[in-house]
Amino acid sequence: MLAQRKPGILNRFYLIEIVRGLWITLRNFLFHEKVTLQFPEQRRDYSPRYRGQHYIKTVNEVENCTACMLCPTVCPAECIHIVAGEREDKEKYPIKFEIDILRCCFCGMCEEACPKDAIKLSNIYEMSQEHREVYTKDFLLEQRGNKK
Amino acid sequence: MPKCMIDGKEVEFTAGENLVKVAKRAGVEIPVFCYHPGLSVVAQCRMCYVEVEKMPKLQTACSTMATEGMVVKTNSENVKKGRAGTMEFLLLNHPLDCPICDKAGECDLQDNSYGYGSAYMRGSEERRTYVDVNMGPVIQKNMNRCIHCTRCIRFGDEIAGIHEMVAIKRGNDIDITTIDGKTLQTEYAGNYSDICPTGSLTLKDFRFKKRAWMLKKTTTVCEGCSKGCNMEIQHEGDVIYRCVPLENLDVNRYWMCDEGRFNYQHTQDPTRIIEPKVKAEGGWKTISWEDGILGIKEEIDGQKPTFLVGSDLTQEELTHIKEYIALQHPGATIQHFGTPGLTSTQQDGALDQILRMKSKTSNLNGAEKLGIAPLMNDTIKADTVVVMSAGRAKLPKINAKRVIAVGVYLEGDASQFDMILPGLAFSEKDGTIVNHQGIEQKLKRAVLPRGKCKSLSEVLMLLTNKKARVGANP
Ligand code: SF4
Ligand code: SF4
Ligand code: SF4
Ligand code: SF4
Ligand code: FES
Repeated sequence: MLAQRKPGILNRFYLIEIVRGLWITLRNFLFHEKVTLQFPEQRRDYSPRYRGQHYIKTVNEVENCTACMLCPTVCPAECIHIVAGEREDKEKYPIKFEIDILRCCFCGMCEEACPKDAIKLSNIYEMSQEHREVYTKDFLLEQRGNKK
Repeated sequence: MPKCMIDGKEVEFTAGENLVKVAKRAGVEIPVFCYHPGLSVVAQCRMCYVEVEKMPKLQTACSTMATEGMVVKTNSENVKKGRAGTMEFLLLNHPLDCPICDKAGECDLQDNSYGYGSAYMRGSEERRTYVDVNMGPVIQKNMNRCIHCTRCIRFGDEIAGIHEMVAIKRGNDIDITTIDGKTLQTEYAGNYSDICPTGSLTLKDFRFKKRAWMLKKTTTVCEGCSKGCNMEIQHEGDVIYRCVPLENLDVNRYWMCDEGRFNYQHTQDPTRIIEPKVKAEGGWKTISWEDGILGIKEEIDGQKPTFLVGSDLTQEELTHIKEYIALQHPGATIQHFGTPGLTSTQQDGALDQILRMKSKTSNLNGAEKLGIAPLMNDTIKADTVVVMSAGRAKLPKINAKRVIAVGVYLEGDASQFDMILPGLAFSEKDGTIVNHQGIEQKLKRAVLPRGKCKSLSEVLMLLTNKKARVGANP
């Protein structure tokens, strides 16, 4: 059985508590610095260590990736799919490089495992899409984000 | 038995055994490069250093025979320094190729460098580079990665019986290549890739297809000939990527031939028939399993068709077929076929001095043991012939009204048939085969059957049933 409380007459009349509560709201509204942003006009700059949308780094328009398959090996979500091939200027390169981004958990292990400084997680965080998207090689080769 | 001490453990040995082998038995791993149990000992890589009591200098374990009372240390400071020194020399000119090298993950140089070398490089000079020769369709050469262990040269000389790999020039200019830059001639070229401790010799067939550590491994037996070489199918998902030999000193020692190594390819051929089909005007028509089974039953129920069975089927399948015939078609003829012009184990024999046998099917001996007679004459009296085989056995041209086939066939070999029910290849089933020596060995399933293929046992069961009730594909 619930214990019956017997509040006093002043407590039963909530006016004092209401005024106190409203004062907190009012104080924050009038005298404190604002913490929200006017997204999308204003954007927050995240730390370079932020793990956002992937890209493959290129140097002189050649991808750094050599299709060593270390990132698919380490990826806990098994969402990287690579097919390796050979071409004139590069002994081994990824013919196909796909990230099934909906499965990705943004752990950043692929970036850490890469011996060629190729796959990177940029600080782009707006990734919502209307369709189930798979990032293709062409998409990943666009240089975005702040990591140079 | 004489005994010696290795790292404080007492081990027995037989006279003439070297320290690498003896240590292995004691559970002590000695790193090696140039030593291979199937090849002669040259002691030139200097990786296998050990310290032997009363000997002033480090000894190479591969060329030092164990003697009574010998006391060996494999982990002393001196040994560690020696190994680290050897590793440093070997890596002086070695490229940092691991990300693009097919050997990575199963590379002795990688493993030993990680285990016994230093993580730092002291040199800063430019590394030596080579232009590679074309070694033919099987092997890809990358001389930059070579550590001059000469295993490949010795393999050619001692096992393949052909002197085709050589070391030319000396010292820093040394080049391991083929004589006059020719392509490899041996039928055993795939082994060059297996024995090379680095990524200097790799398989062209496997090039960049998968990394070694992603592959699952299934121990099985090659079905290429009646030798029955032990091998491992390496696969991921339901795709076979390569086959490599396994050690079996009674059968194939450490090797296998290229025909057997690449024999898996026919099971993944895009033209393999993987759905029941009947011959129709101008080609093949795909039918359902129900129709296929009912069609065959219509042809053969109550008749005495001739059964031709490939000597590439397993003992279990052959026994099952015999039982089926005894039950359903008593008195019908059953004959085995396999290699054109070769009908019995008497005629079977070595094709060369190494491994390959004349019988190109794996279970000739087994079929004979089960009392199945060979197919001698290609004119067959019965109206209908039922052919059952697993893809290796070659059917001679036969004269019969109707030929129904169950098993593995490529579109190209199917012109004689009127109907085909797809069966399982050696990589898709379990079973026993008997090799030419009479040794029974096990096939193991590595991958799931392709398409709508069904096992022979299931087909026979469906044929025995009153009604063909075909369940879901396995
Ligand atoms: S961030 Fe993690 S989950 Fe996403 S692709 Fe990289 S390794 Fe895989
Ligand atoms: S780890 Fe780096 S180099 Fe290797 S496949 Fe992934 S992105 Fe390419
Ligand atoms: S041979 Fe071995 S160590 Fe050399 S690049 Fe290949 S995997 Fe790496
Ligand atoms: S190619 Fe391979 S097996 Fe031949 S010498 Fe070089 S490292 Fe040894
Ligand atoms: S393994 Fe002994 S010297 Fe090479």
